[in-house]
Amino acid sequence: MTAQITATGAAIQGRLEPCDLAFEPGTVTMLVGPNGAGKTSLLHALAGLPVATGEICIGGEEIAKFSPGRRLRYLSFLGASRAINWPLLARDYVALGLPAGAPRESVDTVLQSLDAEGFADRRLDQLSTGERSRVMIARALAPSALALLLDEPCANLDPQWQLTILERLGAEAAGGATVILSIHDLELARHYGDRIIVIDGGHIVEDGPPDVALSADNLGSVFGVARKNDHWTRV
Amino acid sequence: MRPFFYLLFVLIVSGLAIASLTVPLHSLPDLFASDPDLAWVVVTELRMPRALLALFYGAVLGASGAAIQALFANPLASPDITGATGGAALGAVFVAYIIGFASPFGIALGGVVGAGVALVLLLLLAGPRAETATLLLAGIAISAITGAGTALALALAPSPFAFYDAYAWLMGSLVDRSLPQLAFAAIPALGAIAYFARCAPALDRLALGEDVAESMGYDVVSLRRNIVIATAIGVGAAVSVCGAVGFIGLVGPVIARRLTAGHPGRAILPAALIGSVLLLAADIAVRFAPPDRSVPIGVLTALIGAPFFLWLVARMRWSIRP
Amino acid sequence: MGNSRIARMTPPRALLLAATLWLGISGPTLAAPDRVVSLNMCTDELLLLLAEPAQIASVTHLAQDEHEFPFWRTARRYPANNGSVVSVAGDRPDLILTMGGIAQDRTWLAERIGAELVVLPFPQSLADVEAAVRTVAAALGREQRGRQFIAIMREMSAARPEAPQETVFLTDSGFSVAENSLGAEWLQLAGLRVPEGQGARVTAETLLVDPPALVIRSDYRRGQTSRGQYWTGFRFIERSPDTRIVLTDGRRWTCSGLSLLPEITRLRAALAQ
Repeated sequence: MTAQITATGAAIQGRLEPCDLAFEPGTVTMLVGPNGAGKTSLLHALAGLPVATGEICIGGEEIAKFSPGRRLRYLSFLGASRAINWPLLARDYVALGLPAGAPRESVDTVLQSLDAEGFADRRLDQLSTGERSRVMIARALAPSALALLLDEPCANLDPQWQLTILERLGAEAAGGATVILSIHDLELARHYGDRIIVIDGGHIVEDGPPDVALSADNLGSVFGVARKNDHWTRV
Repeated sequence: MRPFFYLLFVLIVSGLAIASLTVPLHSLPDLFASDPDLAWVVVTELRMPRALLALFYGAVLGASGAAIQALFANPLASPDITGATGGAALGAVFVAYIIGFASPFGIALGGVVGAGVALVLLLLLAGPRAETATLLLAGIAISAITGAGTALALALAPSPFAFYDAYAWLMGSLVDRSLPQLAFAAIPALGAIAYFARCAPALDRLALGEDVAESMGYDVVSLRRNIVIATAIGVGAAVSVCGAVGFIGLVGPVIARRLTAGHPGRAILPAALIGSVLLLAADIAVRFAPPDRSVPIGVLTALIGAPFFLWLVARMRWSIRP
Repeated sequence: MGNSRIARMTPPRALLLAATLWLGISGPTLAAPDRVVSLNMCTDELLLLLAEPAQIASVTHLAQDEHEFPFWRTARRYPANNGSVVSVAGDRPDLILTMGGIAQDRTWLAERIGAELVVLPFPQSLADVEAAVRTVAAALGREQRGRQFIAIMREMSAARPEAPQETVFLTDSGFSVAENSLGAEWLQLAGLRVPEGQGARVTAETLLVDPPALVIRSDYRRGQTSRGQYWTGFRFIERSPDTRIVLTDGRRWTCSGLSLLPEITRLRAALAQ
């Protein structure tokens, strides 16, 4: 089963201007933009958080009308914070991402796929930040939701793990999921994204394939950087 | 879990068997032999309400403590921080000594109204989004105001015995409560516990972070408001009948989470069970005080609970490393 | 509240009581309760003074404490309770006397075990004491005895000394009797009056700056170490050469009930010397 995500008039007062967007299944969309541009706000709006206004539909159905149990199968969201609210075991933390009645084996499968079974039975507060990030990503992946909305999944990860996670998300998309994530590394965004949305000051300033969205002009005007001789410089 | 159920059963039976040191254990079987009707009334209408009050009051303290701790993502939060306990005490003392409507019903009503006023004040102070820190601070401020108000109401009371009389009740006592009083405390308590139990999945998901819980379709703002309201009603009604009993709402959930691998929401019903066990045990223990001295239950639970609390604080300080 | 027994009395019994009052018959009537318990030390005093000994089923533990209660020897003849209905239920009481107790539902519980309940208000004047005596005497079927005590109170009141002497009553921590309180009314019977504007407590400074000529000092738990016993004010009056200190039995002032009658007589005699 696959599903299109549509947002109509999605907005957050003072942080995100109203926008209409559609996301096709099987694609990876990267949200890029400077700090405070509105990437997190757009993800919040797409995830249907109460702070946002507008209508979000998955497969033509409005998610605001879903029961929590049903919503878990449609949409999975990873917040930007890696803070621990409760010192749960890593395995239990991942299991909380599953809808009631889902098989517990999927917890082991996803933890194994992220090479996290070694610390699955340790408490979250006893893990390193990178390990904790992988557990939190595993939580978002566990329910195999139709839509994956991830706020900076690469944060706190070493380069190898950043690549591993992005490859994994590409595989999820290939399997039919709609993947939307925010990212700071523009090279990774260009390489792993099918579509890039550039946000600045709460507006969507560019939306298109990587080469169009991350044109030299946009890099200069939005980020104030340029690519010269294989490294970044300020303009 | 199961051992706690056995323990609960044993405690209820002991609660029915042991009245106080002044009443010998064999007196009840003797009474059944000589006057079964009276003996039956003694068991069902005198001893049963006391045991069941301990059961329901302990349960609502444990469950609301677990819910409040889950809500505030803080294992050191307790139902008192909603200001409900202080509000109920002030309302009841005001009705009994200043208005002079000192029937059990008047006091219970005063307690619930007092808890309600404290609650409205808390929600007004904390604002519509009711952030965690604001709620905590507002609760502390309200507790301070109601504490001072209660002391003032007692100081201004016309009867010189008012302070002593109220003290015996405010510090927690279950002696000589009737079936109507039991109903008055138990029905709101059961309602609150049922609501908390319904919130268990949402509270577990809150452990993933507020934004994640909201993305899953849980309305965290109304969850927070409703849990505070349910706590005030459930605990407020119980306080107005039994007085304030501290630390059970703090300690019960901590023990309960050991049974639920730390899950804060799933711990609600076990916390209710453990709260019942703790309060029943405390209420039986105070019956062994010398007969000419009475030990308020709140004093006993604080004596045992406070060191536990200190241990918890120390352990948290030592275990949190960067 | 004190009339709850009379209010719930069945008509024949009320008629009997009315007839007793009219004919002036004394002594226990047929309907008089014969298993009476008291759950409060102040009702213990009324019970012990007004009831036939055979009527008394139980008194409180406090009443058996020699530091708390003047008639503790008498109280020890009876079984003790801890002030709760549940502790006396097995005694099958037919009348329960008590005072205060705001949170307990004694009315309901007493009804369920088939006992009459008399809850007296905390007395705040001699008239309240008389009313309490009348209520308890009527409930016990001992109106005659009640009238005798009231008569003694009135005689004492009529024979009070003409010019009252000003005094400061002192107990632990400077607690005193306020103007217009029950304690002040009892002091009047002994020919004493409390200073104008006197509150329930005296400050040590008042005693130092303006030492009273006469102090009635309660001996309540005197000699037992407590903070209240070390109150600075006591030292000031002990050092004041113009102050006369007369001791009184502090236990009798706790309830300020009938047990003060002989104490007032004793104080009068002591003051006359």
